[in-house]
Amino acid sequence: MSLLGSPQKGMNAFRYLKVAIVVAFLIGAPLYWRDRYITTVFISALMFGIWGVMYDLQIGYAGLYNFGFAGFICAGAYGSALAALHYEVSPWYGLLIGGVASGVLGFFTGLVTLRLRGIYVGLATWFIAEVLRLTISNTPGYTRGMLGLAVKPLPDVLGLDFSRAVLLPYYYLLLLLVIIIFTAASLMVHSKIGLSFKAIREDQLATETLGLSATKYKLINFTTACFFTGLIGAFYAHYIGILTPDATEFGVPRTVEILTVAYVGGRGTLWGSILAGFLLIGFQEYFRELGAWRLVMFGALLITVMIYAPKGLSTVKKYIW
Amino acid sequence: MEFSIFVQLLVLGLVRGSMYALMGVGLSLIFGIMGIVNFAHGELFMMGCYLMYFVTRMVGLPFPVGIIASGAGLLIVGIILEKGLISPLRRKAGREWLMDSFVLTIGLMVIFQNLALITFGAIQRGIPNLVTGQMVIREVVFIYDHLVILSLALLTVGLLWYFIKYTSMGKAIRATSQHSEGAQTLGIDVSTMYAIAFGIGAALAGISGALLITLFPANPNAGMGPVLKSFVVVIVGGLGNVKGAVAAGIMVGLLEAFAMFFLAGGWQNVIVTSIVIAVLVFKPAGLFAPAGERP
Repeated sequence: MSLLGSPQKGMNAFRYLKVAIVVAFLIGAPLYWRDRYITTVFISALMFGIWGVMYDLQIGYAGLYNFGFAGFICAGAYGSALAALHYEVSPWYGLLIGGVASGVLGFFTGLVTLRLRGIYVGLATWFIAEVLRLTISNTPGYTRGMLGLAVKPLPDVLGLDFSRAVLLPYYYLLLLLVIIIFTAASLMVHSKIGLSFKAIREDQLATETLGLSATKYKLINFTTACFFTGLIGAFYAHYIGILTPDATEFGVPRTVEILTVAYVGGRGTLWGSILAGFLLIGFQEYFRELGAWRLVMFGALLITVMIYAPKGLSTVKKYIW
Repeated sequence: MEFSIFVQLLVLGLVRGSMYALMGVGLSLIFGIMGIVNFAHGELFMMGCYLMYFVTRMVGLPFPVGIIASGAGLLIVGIILEKGLISPLRRKAGREWLMDSFVLTIGLMVIFQNLALITFGAIQRGIPNLVTGQMVIREVVFIYDHLVILSLALLTVGLLWYFIKYTSMGKAIRATSQHSEGAQTLGIDVSTMYAIAFGIGAALAGISGALLITLFPANPNAGMGPVLKSFVVVIVGGLGNVKGAVAAGIMVGLLEAFAMFFLAGGWQNVIVTSIVIAVLVFKPAGLFAPAGERP
């Protein structure tokens, strides 16, 4: 069973080589440049990439449209930050708390949206995320609301300096998390569970008549994707240092960014989102002086993908790699 | 509660409700006829705000001209968008149409917001009021401006209802939405009907923007709040149910007016959004759907 693409015998060695090259690049590149700015770009790209992968796990495999995706990042980020602030939980456990907070929210979101299909799942998740965000901004006594919640950096561990003075430890921690999450997601989509996701996406009624429980697999999908999303959300909180329940931070604009990453990368590929994360974030940083024009280009790119290349970057894979 | 306060809240709620109804009707119409959940609805609203501002403030024409210009301008924008982008997608999309078109309109939202930011900057361009003055009847204040908004919103919804119900083009649009192949065999130009329907939906958003410029000054993000409210109204009323959108708009407006009076600021948003989740979970076809109907 390979991690990328369909499991064809004989191709495996080649595939593992490609994965090794990508991982080697991701490990080596920031060390080669040793530049704080480049490290921040790599961290953003990897974060958006792995969020895109989780988005893809929902939309591309199970056909679950989570339009409140940013809300699950929010749950993870605030879960860990509030645990550290009010209960003095170590941020290292906080990563797990963030994941669990978001995973539980994901489970219940899955539960209430079970009877809904397509666009109605999207609308319900959108409003659930908005309720969470608006509640945070209305309870400044506990969450500091729009004043902003300062989050401590991760404590030093194994002699590594996590004070945010140097960013490389954060980068390698994120890379480790991304590799774990990506591997877990790949194993999942190539297992029986992944096949069930696809079956439900294609035809829920037919799947159920075959004796597969759509309920069970939808809940598995929601809980897993949201758990990992929240885990990275908690990482984000300790990395970025301040949280506000702003729309651009945890509202529709953030969801749209991640959705663009997943769609441009190609739905139902997982790896496409990582590639699109690097391309789009890199593009965004490179053209920083263009200001709002780059967002216009993002929108145009999304429309182009919708009309002319529904499979996104995965269409061109066979020509270049 | 004193009776005068109750009446005052009732009036405020009705004014708010009529605006929500007008925005929701456009969104619901586009969904009902074309199956598009138009996320760029707020940005069409924003364009209406700008058109109103430029016609009345820069050119200096009276406000009814501004409202008509916003409606006509957005009708054209809507038709161009449909012909240029949505129609090519419809030819390709199969059963994923509902989500694909939704994502397309998300792209449009991002483009319009940022083009507005580039062209006009982040400045707020507002008009203090359409008409001045107010009258007081038994301690209840009636602001003329609000009365104008209320009556024009009702007039617009009335005109739309007449158009859809009685004109031959309205009938053709309804036929297209019920069964597009069947409509085609009757000689109805289906693709033109889709373009006109989208144009009308856009025009309704534009007219709302023009009417509400006293409350939502024209700025690149002017559509962000109203789009959320339009979705609230449309979900409570039932996606695609135009009559439901009118009733839900008034309901939500009244609910908000009373919630704002009794609760600390900000919580009314939480309450309204929670109600929407409850509606989606328990009655996804909307509160006004016939019994037993499921989307």
